This record gives sequence, C-alpha cells and structure tokens, in this order.
Amino acid sequence: MRRRTFIQSMGGGALAALATSATAANAAASPSARSTKRYLRPPGALAEEEFLSRCIHCGQCGEACPNRCIKYFGAENGAAAIDTPYIEPREKACILCMKCGDVCPTGAIRPIPREAGAILEHVHMGKAKVDENLCLSFQGKSCGVCYWACPLPDVAITVGYMEQPHVTDACVGCGLCERSCIQMPQAIRVMPNRDAT
Amino acid sequence: MRVRIFLWRHLNKLRWVSLSLVFAMLIILPCLHIYQTYVAAHAYDLLAPSEKRFYDVMESLTAPFINDPAEDLDAVKGNTWSGNFWGLKLSDPLAVLGQMAAGFSLYWPFILTALIPIAVTAFFGRVFCGWICPANFLYELNSNLAAWLQWAGLRTGARRFDKRIKYGVLGLGLLLSAATGSIMVAAVYPPAIVGRELYYVIAQGGFGVGMVFFVGTLLFDLLVSRRGFCRYLCPGGALYSLLGRYRLVRVRRVVESCNDCQKCNAVCEFALAPMTDGFGQECTNCAACMAVCPTDALTFDIRLFDHPEQGPGHLGRRYRREPSDENDANKAAEEAAA
Repeated sequence: MRRRTFIQSMGGGALAALATSATAANAAASPSARSTKRYLRPPGALAEEEFLSRCIHCGQCGEACPNRCIKYFGAENGAAAIDTPYIEPREKACILCMKCGDVCPTGAIRPIPREAGAILEHVHMGKAKVDENLCLSFQGKSCGVCYWACPLPDVAITVGYMEQPHVTDACVGCGLCERSCIQMPQAIRVMPNRDAT
Repeated sequence: MRVRIFLWRHLNKLRWVSLSLVFAMLIILPCLHIYQTYVAAHAYDLLAPSEKRFYDVMESLTAPFINDPAEDLDAVKGNTWSGNFWGLKLSDPLAVLGQMAAGFSLYWPFILTALIPIAVTAFFGRVFCGWICPANFLYELNSNLAAWLQWAGLRTGARRFDKRIKYGVLGLGLLLSAATGSIMVAAVYPPAIVGRELYYVIAQGGFGVGMVFFVGTLLFDLLVSRRGFCRYLCPGGALYSLLGRYRLVRVRRVVESCNDCQKCNAVCEFALAPMTDGFGQECTNCAACMAVCPTDALTFDIRLFDHPEQGPGHLGRRYRREPSDENDANKAAEEAAA
C-alpha cells in the first residue's frame, strides 16, 4: 500500500474499468492462477474462490490487525480482488492474534480461537520453504533466527545441526520466519496455500 | 385545525450534525487503530517525533474512557458498509445482497447484521442516504460548491436523466457480482468507497483505486448533473428506495399553508417535487424542504402512501384565481372568520 500512490491508482483504476469484463472472465476461470504475486490471505481465510465470494471489502480485518500486516489490493491483482485483504510476509508477517477472524462479518475469515491447537488445525495460509543455497546455517554460519521467530517452535519448525531449519507439515504459514530472516534475499519463504481451508 | 410542530424546520440542522458525526467517525476510527498498533508494539521510545505527538493526542483523547487501548478500542470498528458497535454488527443491506449474489449462498450470521438497517428503512424510508451516508455528506458539500460557482457566474451541470437508471445499475451490479464471484457493487457504491478510502489514506498510507471512481462521481455531479450519481446511478440508493417504498414516516405538504413558492422543489437534492406532493419512494426524509419552507407547510406524517396531489397551495395566487366549489366554500369560511 505504501507504493500505491495516487497516480498509480489512477492508471490502475482506468485499467480496471476498461478490463473489468476480461479480468472477470479470467477470475471466474481460476482465481489463484491469475496472479503472479506471492501473497497470503489473512489467517483462517476460506479457499480463494469462496473467500472472494464472501469478502465484502469492508476493511475491518485490517482495522483490527494490531500488527498492521493486512494490506489491501488495488487493481494489480484482477478486478475480483480489488480491496481484498492480503499479507506480504517479508514486509510484515502475521502474528496469529486471530482478531481479523473475530471481526469479519461474513465469515470470509473464519473466527478461530487463539490457541495453538485450533490454529494448527484451522490456519493454512501456506508453508515455509527453506532455500538451502541461501540459508546461512546451511552455509556453515550457525543462525537459527527463523526458529526463534516462529510462534510454533519445535512444532512447525525444528533446527538440527548448526541450527539448520527444517519446516514440518504443521507450519501454518504466518510468515514470521520470512520476516525475520537476516539473509537478503530471504532464505526462507512462505509458499501460499490459498486453495485449502 | 392541525397543530403544526415548528421544530421540524430545524431537523435539517440535526441531519447535518448526524452526517458530520458519521464522517468524523470514519476519520477517527483509523486514527484509533493506528494508536492501538503503537500501543500493541510497546515501543513508544522508537516512534518518530510526529508519531509520538500523534500517540500523545490519541492517548489524551481516549484515556478518560478506556483502560487498555489495545483491547478496549476494539469495541467500535468498521464503517457504514459494515461495522461493529460494542458487539452489535451492522451491515448495509446492499452488502448482504451483493454477497448473496456473489456467493449464491445464505450465510445467516451476516444476513442478520442487515436486519436493523432494513427495519429502519422500512419505517423511515431512505434515511441512510440523507442522514448517514458519508458520500452524501461530500456530495451535498459538492452541491453547495456548485451553487457558489453559479453565484460566481460559472455554469455547472444541470442535466436530468431517468431516475430508473439506478435500478438498472443495481441489477447489473448484482449480475456482475454473480458472474465474477466477487462483490462488484462494492466498487461502485460511494459510501463503501468513502469509508474504505478514508481508512486507506489514514492507516494504509495512500488512496486506493476507489478514490478515482469517487472523484469521478464528484466531477459528474459538478459538471454534468446536479447530484447526478445519487439521483440516477447509485445502486445502494436504488435498494434503499425499494426497501422504503412503503415507509410509514413521510413528508406531507399541508395544502392549507402552502403558498406555491417552489423553494422546496428547488432545494430537493433528489429532484423530487414536494410542492406538488410528488415524494414517492425516493424521498430520503432529509427535511431540507421543511427547513426552506417559508410558511412551514411541510410536516411529517405517519402514512403508508403519499397524499395524492392536493392542488395549488391555499396561500398561493393560483388557488385564489381558480374557481371551484371547494375554493368558494373555503373563501366563504375565511371571510366569515375575518
């Protein structure tokens, strides 16, 4: 949103107005295939297609987010996704406070209690992936920052020899590891999983 | 003789207070949100000087009312499109209808949030448009700007279109929502846009695409047609008009005290004709006509239908010239009284 200047949105708006029908057709065909951007939906969000049909673009999830990690799409991700919430973990990651689900009026983001069990069961924003060619711990410099950043340490991520991180299937994809990675570019990234609930 | 309540000519001021309060709320809520995030971050010392000033101002504003900003300020969130007031969730009926169209499904917890707005509309008509809508606030100011420009000798738009176009926009918006599987009416509904964009510009660092559309509608109103968007195009206005078709509270013209001055017709933001009893389903009960009426001939009444046209006002010239039995009888009565 920082880069969403007025000029850009002018161009985007005109584009959106012109291409509404075209993008809409694409959106109907495959909601997750049209974007090249790597983004997460807020924790507890329904699968992409259902999420888009439920979300009324009211902005309350962002207004409830104490970490201000929820941002909103302009026209860059297709007409169907305008004003829908997303998270870019490298800029600001989700702290799994689950306030957005409480405040969502339509259930597009489901209300989930703030307990490790419920979060592990219901939150599937994505899964972190380590690039061993970039990760300092795999290059002989013991690091482990991602492990310490993880809200579910030893459950979602384990560290072995030289603090080398291993992501387990329990990872919910909050992105705090990606946010905290000291390598540039980041050696651990969350791969979005927007089609599962 | 009917007892007239002269207080009603002051209702228009109350309406401006209401509009201003809603608009102020849309500005203050994002500010409170930012303040909450500062509190949650526990990093006052790391804030920039301007942020510290902001923090101090918000703290002094809220401290008398709350204990824990991070939690207590969650009580009020959202905007007129959908909001949460101390646990009471309210949504615009158009949000519910649009979501139903987009999802082909009924999600009851959400549908129930529109119940109170629908009930209010059924009783009082399209009051959302006149009394609450944050876009209406800006459109009316825009309308006043147009009046100043005219006074300065510039020409502003005064074209008229068919008021039924907005029902088409509503239908088309719902069809598009159903076709795309996303609530498209939200992108062309000014109050939703204004609520969102104020939040974006305050808490997210810049306007979104909706602002382009909204500025476009302001220019349309200014250059093409006075209040054109609300009158002819707004999908939400169309829905509220339909919901308020059989409203109970209606403006009524008291024909005995009307002098046919036409001021009410000129002031009506929705191009209705109070002077000829032409209110219909699109009246917002905004009371602007009451405020301008020099003889207090407009009043509220509890009725399911409008009065049929009552003819020229009894204080006007036309009434005195027109010969009719009723007219003569009235004149005789007036002379007798004198």
